[in-house]
Amino acid sequence: MKRNVKVALVGNPNVGKTAIMNALAGTNEMVGNWPGVTVKKKTGKYHFRGFEIELIDLPGIYSLTSYSLEERVTRNFLLSGEYDVVADVIDVTLLGRNLYLTLELLDMGIKPVIVLNKTDELNKLHFSIDVQKLEKILKLPVVTVSATKKEGLNNLSETFLRVATGDIKPEGFTPIYSEILEEAIELLTLKLKSQVKSNFPFNLRWISIKLLEKDPEILKLVERQLLEFNLILEEIEQIEKEIQNRFNLDLPTFVSKERFLLASKVAREVIDSSEKEITTETLSDKIDKLITYPFTGIPIFLLIMWLVFKITFSLSEPFINIIDQIFSNFIPGVVENLLSFLPKPIISLINDGILAGVGAVIVFLPILGLLYFLMSILEDSGYMARAAALWDNFMKIFGLSGASVIPMILGFGCNVPAIYATRAMRSPYQKLITMAIIPWISCSARLPVYTVFVAAFFQENRTAVILGLYLTGIALALFFSALMSRFLYRTEEDEFFIELPSYKLPSWNVVINETWIEVKDFLQKAGTVIFAVSVLIWALASLPPGVEYAGEKSFIGQIGKTIAPLFQPIGIEDWKPVVALIFGALAKEVVVGTLGTLYGTGESGLVEVLRTTFSPESALAFMVFTLLYTPCVATMAAIRQESGSWRFTLGVLAIDLTTAWILASITYHIAGTLF
Amino acid sequence: MKLTEVPEGKTVEVVDIKGGVGIRNRLAAIGLYPGAPIKVIKSPPGPMIVEVAGSRIALGKGMASKVEVMEL
Repeated sequence: MKRNVKVALVGNPNVGKTAIMNALAGTNEMVGNWPGVTVKKKTGKYHFRGFEIELIDLPGIYSLTSYSLEERVTRNFLLSGEYDVVADVIDVTLLGRNLYLTLELLDMGIKPVIVLNKTDELNKLHFSIDVQKLEKILKLPVVTVSATKKEGLNNLSETFLRVATGDIKPEGFTPIYSEILEEAIELLTLKLKSQVKSNFPFNLRWISIKLLEKDPEILKLVERQLLEFNLILEEIEQIEKEIQNRFNLDLPTFVSKERFLLASKVAREVIDSSEKEITTETLSDKIDKLITYPFTGIPIFLLIMWLVFKITFSLSEPFINIIDQIFSNFIPGVVENLLSFLPKPIISLINDGILAGVGAVIVFLPILGLLYFLMSILEDSGYMARAAALWDNFMKIFGLSGASVIPMILGFGCNVPAIYATRAMRSPYQKLITMAIIPWISCSARLPVYTVFVAAFFQENRTAVILGLYLTGIALALFFSALMSRFLYRTEEDEFFIELPSYKLPSWNVVINETWIEVKDFLQKAGTVIFAVSVLIWALASLPPGVEYAGEKSFIGQIGKTIAPLFQPIGIEDWKPVVALIFGALAKEVVVGTLGTLYGTGESGLVEVLRTTFSPESALAFMVFTLLYTPCVATMAAIRQESGSWRFTLGVLAIDLTTAWILASITYHIAGTLF
Repeated sequence: MKLTEVPEGKTVEVVDIKGGVGIRNRLAAIGLYPGAPIKVIKSPPGPMIVEVAGSRIALGKGMASKVEVMEL
């Protein structure tokens, strides 16, 4: 007998699928993307009564049309049949609306286990649900749980097993709509039956319903299968005309409305409410108003983001210093003492190559961990959805949505968690655009570079220069996204509404678990790329054997010299700053350290030397270049991981390098005429 | 009238939603379809917040101005 059971979790956004996953599979979860698309995929495994149960979290959706990528991902997975059980997770406090998706599943011929979550909140709302009656109406197994209180979970796993082993065979109710719609469905089903081949793999009733909804993918699918597709189209047109005349509604809306009304009817039959609807403004509404009115909402938003940065950076700093000490002083010291019998190049490989590479990965952990932690709190408490709503109107100007604001703001701290924060964005296209522009948000690692150059050349106007650099990055990011969304991705309908989930105290085990899963994922995926590039750069700087580290004769020095002419238009004649920029690909603050090493001054005497090798205009151009050129390796690894595509990542790199070069050249020439 | 003109606290009925099939279909799935009652919780400036089928939905300016409503 099969000992592993695959369970697909389907449901609306905010129904608590994450909490259920977390309560069942705990730390045994993995995140990734669905193949070929930037939609987050989460899976988790756990053991129950000798079975291994694998949970697959499908994207949170309201319906199963094919208008959004998430809906397509879910629908295709459900059609693939690569599961043993489908669990339809329902927020019991919004039963009517949630049942809409259930009816769509039933239309498809899928017989899910109904999981009524958040049952602990029913008492608060003064209503109860007749579970037996719901079971009888839907002809499906219904399980009540409270993921946050960990109630009903054993029963849930038990039900999964019983369905998977065939012990329970859900019959499944066939949603029956109004007479006129049923006639239309029947008519189309008959027409289809006469035309399709006997091995047509889909439920004809479902296909008919989807045709009436004018689902673009189903229309295409049927067109491919049928010889006389136009007959079907004519039929649909005929039906639409009749509906238009009688109800003044377009056909797709008519079908969805019918389904919604049926779902509400089922809900009404099983809900026993002892209280009338609350008509006064609730506290939650008052808070919502406060934080989404721009006048009050923006200051609150900025305050929260400031707190997030403050907490992240002040708490992570001691850890970063310790990690730095361990990987650049302590272990290398031990290595030199204990392994002194080894030849020097090997010691250099261990210390400057491998240990520096591992250190470059580990050093991100405190910041990433803390930021994820704080972001999960904002997400879980319900604030994130409000912040997205607050910024929506403004970001629409640039072709983005409110959901892209948080990743962009995080970018000022560090681009790496900013890229990961795009995971919370629902529109896949906006997610790609946001990822592409984040590298232009000036992260804190770029500040040391500005500081040194400003100290050397622009002491008087330092605030203006540094602020100017930040603004250049923001302006370019917004301009670019406006441009991209004009010319690309016009087909995708943008996000047009955001559901505001009820406020709640973050549940700590969910927050901690989410943080842990993300950090683990970073180590496994981005960590390896960062490590590999660090070692590669070390090798380029140390080879051929015997050269001075990163010196003129090393490979990296030769590369620097070869490409140095490219930097003439931005006023850089020397090869040393070029090598420093190559090193800067590891992490931008490294630019300063490398310049110090190459000019033999260390960081302290660097300001003096820079005054002799740079002019004010080339210094300004160099800063602009540093701001805009290649994202650091960690950011690129994150982009690669999140977009799932090397082509996209390299495309971003190419755009960033070109833009940096063009803008730095322009800066050099304009500044040259001014200074 | 337009949804954006409805004062806070008032419940109105949706008459029409201007937009493509995708938008109309997906809004209907959350209970926002011609004939449905919706209550305005917050009006502009900033996003509109409406109560639809028991949940709070924030609508951007563009979206909200596409929703045509009438008094109940």
